[in-house]
Amino acid sequence: MNIDDLFDYTSYTIDREPHIILDPQICVGCDHRGCANSCPAGCYTWSEKEVKMAFVHDSCLECGTCYIVCDRNAFTRWRYPRGGFGVSYRMT
Amino acid sequence: MKRSFQAIVVGAGPAGSAAAFTMAKAGLDVALLERGNFPGEKNMFGGILHRIPALDNVLSDYWICAPIERHVVKKGLTFMTGDASFSVQYESQAFDQTPYNGYTVFRPRFDRWLAEEARKAGATLLTRSTVDDVVIKSGKVVGVTLLRDRGEIAAPIAVAADGVLSFTALKAGLRRPKFDAGQMALGVKALFDLPKAAIEDRFGLVRDQGYSNEFVGCTAGLRGGGFLYTNLDSISVGLVLHLGSLRSGGRTPYDLLNAFIETPHIARFLKGGRLLEYSAHLIPEGGYGMIPEIVGEGILVAGDAAGFCNVTGLNLEGINLATHSGMLAGKAVVEAHREKDFSRRGLSVYRKMLEESYIMKDLKLYRRAPKMLHNDAIYQAYPEILCSFMEDIYRIDGTPKENLHQLFLRTAREKVGYRKLLADTYAAWRAL
Repeated sequence: MNIDDLFDYTSYTIDREPHIILDPQICVGCDHRGCANSCPAGCYTWSEKEVKMAFVHDSCLECGTCYIVCDRNAFTRWRYPRGGFGVSYRMT
Repeated sequence: MKRSFQAIVVGAGPAGSAAAFTMAKAGLDVALLERGNFPGEKNMFGGILHRIPALDNVLSDYWICAPIERHVVKKGLTFMTGDASFSVQYESQAFDQTPYNGYTVFRPRFDRWLAEEARKAGATLLTRSTVDDVVIKSGKVVGVTLLRDRGEIAAPIAVAADGVLSFTALKAGLRRPKFDAGQMALGVKALFDLPKAAIEDRFGLVRDQGYSNEFVGCTAGLRGGGFLYTNLDSISVGLVLHLGSLRSGGRTPYDLLNAFIETPHIARFLKGGRLLEYSAHLIPEGGYGMIPEIVGEGILVAGDAAGFCNVTGLNLEGINLATHSGMLAGKAVVEAHREKDFSRRGLSVYRKMLEESYIMKDLKLYRRAPKMLHNDAIYQAYPEILCSFMEDIYRIDGTPKENLHQLFLRTAREKVGYRKLLADTYAAWRAL
């Protein structure tokens, strides 16, 4: 059993207003980019070709992993989504 | 819009709802703030709600009315390598009698139920309310502001029960701005639906008995472990990964989870199961050493926000500590209202109550466990030693045998060396 579409099994109420804002310039100078492989929702993607960190907030599980592993304060904003928005666990 | 209450509780998880419940029962007008559409919407956990004796006293027989999945009567611990596994299992008739020793629950259901109990007791539950900041006047917390509608809620006392990252404690100046990745772990979980009868057949259970199993050696050498818990008609499978190790490990949590689910040992339990939900959350695993300031001017901190999580490697306790600390915070707030003293000094009764309870006693007792668990050998070399040892014991192939202690020492020497074996045994002895 392999779950290719793991991420499709989480529900969200997506907020247009992002609750996390990343300054990707700072990521260019990072030597580990631990967020890219630690985020359980795959929100961070480093492109070696473009030398750029791409970030999407839509599929964020609001766990705080990036907030902890980032040691360069690359966030201009890191907070929880506005009330009623974001990840919505049904059972789990 | 500004509303006033006698107390504010930030977060309607187990700690917050228990705090609000305790205050409301004592007649206080308390606001219970929850950022989700309903309490529990943002919450997940590994799976065991341990017994909470303090809850037995105020919500008697809560295991009958609470949304419980199964009560755990059988616990397993498995050491795995790529193609072998060594398991120990403990089961007890005593765990099959009320009050049960532990339950599997779904947090969106359990947390919602506990918050509803607080509401029935008289608390005002305000959902969809993300706290943005604390309002500080002359050095004292006197309220909070909300992200939505720029609302403000005033009260002479607040309880920060807003979870592992606790921005409320941060903004009140009670926790340091930067967390240590070495003191945090990430839990990822997949929930599979499976018929009740199949679960009972596969795990040898009857009625609503439950089974839980922890796994070591399933994290590709990263510090962490796996878990499997039986719910009524679904199974939770997941991994807990130490962030310090995950950050530099080069593997993603979902790849590791997929690999774990694919191992024959796990796959056979999940056969025919359908994925229902994927979830993740952080766990404060630093123990006693990571507890922030828990008492401030007009504010108390409870639950995960206070780092109340006891990790020994054998048990992982959180919700019981959260609920109990929430009840103690509630009691402290009731006392503060009686004395009309919301100062740090007046509120220090909370710390005293925690020190006298199992919460601080256990965290102090196991204060060396988090460091002991920061030993990479536990997650790969030791499971390999155990499995290789058992393989040599059971394999009959016509070659002459060694006696058992020679066999064990040789296996251990090849994998970690005598010196490390001795040092690790000593560290584990001291920590546990």
